[in-house]
Amino acid sequence: MASGIGGGTSGLAARQADLVAALVADGPVPPGFDPALLDATRRALLRKRAGEAAKVWPLLAASLGAEWPRAFAARRAGHEPVGALRDGWDIARALQRCGELGTGAAAELAERETAFRYDGHSDPRPRSRSRVRRMIAMLTGRP
Amino acid sequence: MAVAGVAEAVAVAAVAERHALLPAGVGVGWRPEIAGWVAGLPGPAFCEVIAETLAPAAPPRGVVELRERGIPVVPHGVRLSLGGAEPVEGSRVRHLAACAAALQAPLVSEHVAFVRAAGHDAGHLLPVPRTREALDVLATNIRRTQAELDVPLALEPIAALFDWPDDEYSEPDFLTELLERTGALLLLDVANVYANAVNRGQDPEAVLDRLPIDRVAYVHVAGGGEHADDPGIYHDTHIHPVPRAVLQLVERLVERTAGPPPVMLERDGRYPPAAELRAELEAIAAAVGRPAPGDTAVAG
Repeated sequence: MASGIGGGTSGLAARQADLVAALVADGPVPPGFDPALLDATRRALLRKRAGEAAKVWPLLAASLGAEWPRAFAARRAGHEPVGALRDGWDIARALQRCGELGTGAAAELAERETAFRYDGHSDPRPRSRSRVRRMIAMLTGRP
Repeated sequence: MAVAGVAEAVAVAAVAERHALLPAGVGVGWRPEIAGWVAGLPGPAFCEVIAETLAPAAPPRGVVELRERGIPVVPHGVRLSLGGAEPVEGSRVRHLAACAAALQAPLVSEHVAFVRAAGHDAGHLLPVPRTREALDVLATNIRRTQAELDVPLALEPIAALFDWPDDEYSEPDFLTELLERTGALLLLDVANVYANAVNRGQDPEAVLDRLPIDRVAYVHVAGGGEHADDPGIYHDTHIHPVPRAVLQLVERLVERTAGPPPVMLERDGRYPPAAELRAELEAIAAAVGRPAPGDTAVAG
């Protein structure tokens, strides 16, 4: 699963890549590391990402309430960090596909789908300047 | 005797110079979410802003207003990856330098950490192995960064839940060697010292005794706690209140420094009501023995 990250067995660069893979991409625990502490780190990173995504997707996070960190972890574990905007976007789309997206969260998703073109693989691109301005105004609460 | 006296005077002067980079007192990490609250503080000693969130050509209004009030703002980098085996990216270094220039900052800071490897991002600060190889990597990246900067660089040791299996140095020894080799200053995060010591089963105060605190430029304080999923592990979260034990460690630090160092609160989420944030600043001020922002009387 971690193929593509790391791959080498010697040298600091390869060892750092293997560690990153273990923490964010379901890679194996590199030799000599404490598996329980790496796992605690992996879960702490997911909680931190969930908190960051909640700032960008407040209605999505609110729709899941106290379950948000767990729901986030369940869907994003093994996916390397791609930024709070994409993390939340992928979750919102997945929930929508299963018909589990709440009304407010659906409106939040629709707003972003209108403002950005997101292919699910690379950073969302603005569809037009005026829409981006509206988007920024909405996110910052400033006209 | 005379030589020793001169050396001592030079050392004291060097410490004074480091402290003079920022006014002694209590500051706070500026974040967009608490911009209004920070703007309403009568007088934070200084602020810090995450460099990667700042556009040097157009800093946020709140940050500009702080500068107009004469309050120093320190750009704090989180994505340079100075401990990464790959060379530090020139564009990131130039951005940090541009932030310093735009804010007329007296210094900038970054971490003893790596955040990405082989093009993949951890999304977080990760520890480097405390080895000679990693020291070389860090020193090279730090010197490359310093070469682009017009102001001093302070380095912050991070909180980490795990260590590498092949550590050759203790954390204080590793840090001392790194600062000696690079001439960098220390951004001491007391909460990180507390977290690492507690999680390694060490006495935080004993760790403090071995750190190069004569090189402290300024100090971070942040909150944390245990999580239900990981009983027995202290997480440095920046989204919880500052525990009493961390404030007590600040008191122990101040006992060991020549004068009260500049200290600031880092809060990165789950922002409490203004009164609670204010109380956190006052508690930090009391621990340092300095007035809280806006107070005229010395607290504590």
